Amino acid sequence: MAALDWLNVVVAAVLLAGIYAVMSVGMTIIYGVMKIVNLAHAGFMMLGAYFAYELFERGHLDPLVGAFLAFPVFFGIGRLVYWLFVRWLPVSNQPTLGSLLLMFGIWLVLQNLAYLVWGNEDRSIFTPRTFLTTQIGPITISTLRLVAFAVALVSLVVFELVLRRTWYGRSVRALIQSRYAGQLVGVDTRRTASLTFGLGIGFAGMAGALLASLYSFNPDFGRPFLIRSFVIIVLGGLESASGVALGALVLALAETIGILFVPAGYQLAISFGLLVLVLLVLPGGLAQLFAKRYRSA
Amino acid sequence: MTRSYQSLGFFPRSFVVLLALATVQGCKREDKKAVTADAITIGVVLPLTGREAKPGQYQKEGIDLAVKQINQAGGVMVKAAGKKLPLKEIFYDDGSDQAKSASFVERTMSSDNATAVIGGYSTALGEAESVMPDRYKVPWITPGAAASAIFNRGYQWAFGMLTPTDILGSTTAEFLQSVVEAGKLRKGLNVALALENTDHGIDYGNGIKQWIQKHPGSFNVVFSETFDLGSPDFSGLLQKVKSANADIFLSDAHLQDYITMHRQYIQNGMKHQMISYGARGPETDARKALGDGVDYIFAGIWWSKSLPYPQVKQFVKDYKEATGREPDSWYAATAYDSVRILASAIETAGNLERTAIRDALRTAELKGSLLPGQTVRFGPNGQAQNPFVIVQNKPGGKVDIVFPKDAATGEVIAPIPTRG
Repeated sequence: MAALDWLNVVVAAVLLAGIYAVMSVGMTIIYGVMKIVNLAHAGFMMLGAYFAYELFERGHLDPLVGAFLAFPVFFGIGRLVYWLFVRWLPVSNQPTLGSLLLMFGIWLVLQNLAYLVWGNEDRSIFTPRTFLTTQIGPITISTLRLVAFAVALVSLVVFELVLRRTWYGRSVRALIQSRYAGQLVGVDTRRTASLTFGLGIGFAGMAGALLASLYSFNPDFGRPFLIRSFVIIVLGGLESASGVALGALVLALAETIGILFVPAGYQLAISFGLLVLVLLVLPGGLAQLFAKRYRSA
Repeated sequence: MTRSYQSLGFFPRSFVVLLALATVQGCKREDKKAVTADAITIGVVLPLTGREAKPGQYQKEGIDLAVKQINQAGGVMVKAAGKKLPLKEIFYDDGSDQAKSASFVERTMSSDNATAVIGGYSTALGEAESVMPDRYKVPWITPGAAASAIFNRGYQWAFGMLTPTDILGSTTAEFLQSVVEAGKLRKGLNVALALENTDHGIDYGNGIKQWIQKHPGSFNVVFSETFDLGSPDFSGLLQKVKSANADIFLSDAHLQDYITMHRQYIQNGMKHQMISYGARGPETDARKALGDGVDYIFAGIWWSKSLPYPQVKQFVKDYKEATGREPDSWYAATAYDSVRILASAIETAGNLERTAIRDALRTAELKGSLLPGQTVRFGPNGQAQNPFVIVQNKPGGKVDIVFPKDAATGEVIAPIPTRG
């Protein structure tokens, strides 16, 4: 394969990493603060995709505008779900069976609601930009993927700033490190959890709306992304958006470049192989590797 | 501790023999009761909810239409009853769930005492149902499951209306050969295969490869790989296809993957002389998602409403009258014919004994069928062996049948013109 082909593959992997990162960040933060494995994440992503679709079909709104609108709307939905169901879950430092069942149940309800409303046909958004490409030097890039990547990047940077520079962000980081210690220093755990759940669902909705312009979707949409989110969480750790971005980049590079050497049918095997490897060698994720380097320096 | 039959005493042994006789008598009585019945009970298990709801609904509509028409004509002639008996349909919605699908088929065959059962859209649900017919010795016809894996297990009571997918592969190769013979493509072109990692994809690829092996010098397979269903990115795979420098790109994909892959295909500026995504191509959803990007893609399908047979035109008219719309894709047609071939087998059997109906199905020939070739008969493994029709998307949303020649509604456009 020529050097240019390699460059094309690496660029494709980086663009894919952006999408992976924005879809995983919501799940990461919810797990970090509340120790809830949000299995309903895929369901909210799917609803985000339909949200952008409806805005496009009825209001002729660009799906990217739909993605920006999806964030506050799904933030509200997330807070409502928290208030109705999640806050009743027992507080724990480990994921509980109750939380798993609840989130799985919510996912099933969302899926079946979507079947009821939109049926099971595959839907998609086709705009004049769908096949538009951007030429950067010798590389041809899908404009839509480039824009989706930029939106993902901007939202991750903003999220990182919120985590680093605001009281809410400090509360989140404190709760991720130690819920007990956070409570001792006066963190309002219930309010932080409520905001975090809203934020996580907001990101899920936004990711779904972004993906709607790239893929076709049906009520079962989101399942393959959910699996990849687990891998990214383990790889990137829980404490920062940059960790998620790094995890997403490693996964996207491994998947895209890996199948140049092994048959494409092994793409998921690459993801899971990576997951097993990290769990065995670096159970703390890539952050553990950097921490070791930092200590030894 | 285990004991053999011989080691039992006289009385216990007699008891076993009596029990066996009673069972046989019971079964016979069951069949006799069915003959004295005033209707023929047919179990139907299809998804009307869940992810397969739409195709399931279309198949149910096809079955309902056939049952209605047969009953309007007086029913099915059953010699042993000395009269025509109407068909009575017992329907269960399996919710697109494999476990429910199998258990509803079991219910129709056991407690509902159905004479035969029709069910199983898609392959996954059909596969779950397929274990029941041999267990209960009830004929089962699936109008919507195609994978050969179901029919290669030696089942004696399972029949399928869909031609196996490897024939889709060989028909595709045969079609391309006809384009070469028409002087539109060069001989000995290189082919790249990207196949979904399922029985469907693998059967399709094998069909193409076996055809090429039997016709040396026709085409060369320079690339063949499988990919995961629902993959979010195909850039690596497409890069490999690009590097293979093939002239023809043949994939086998579900609708979602077809849309994602073909979007990336166009965005990567890839070009081939001919492109196909197996059985996918002419779907309205694909045109909505890809616009004129779907133009010139060809596909092999089980049935088309454009088939120039009078019975197809009549069916389209009747279906539209019954449902208010024309049939979408092949789903209703295979379901409609599954009822007709079952009715014809019952008439041939002359009674409602399930074994006789099963034997009649094995040799049944449904003439005037809606399917390509106009006659349906089941092969030795229970699967129908009708040819596929090849359709090609044309600009402006037109879809033409381009192969076989006797069913063609338009000329094939090959090689694909370069996009402007």
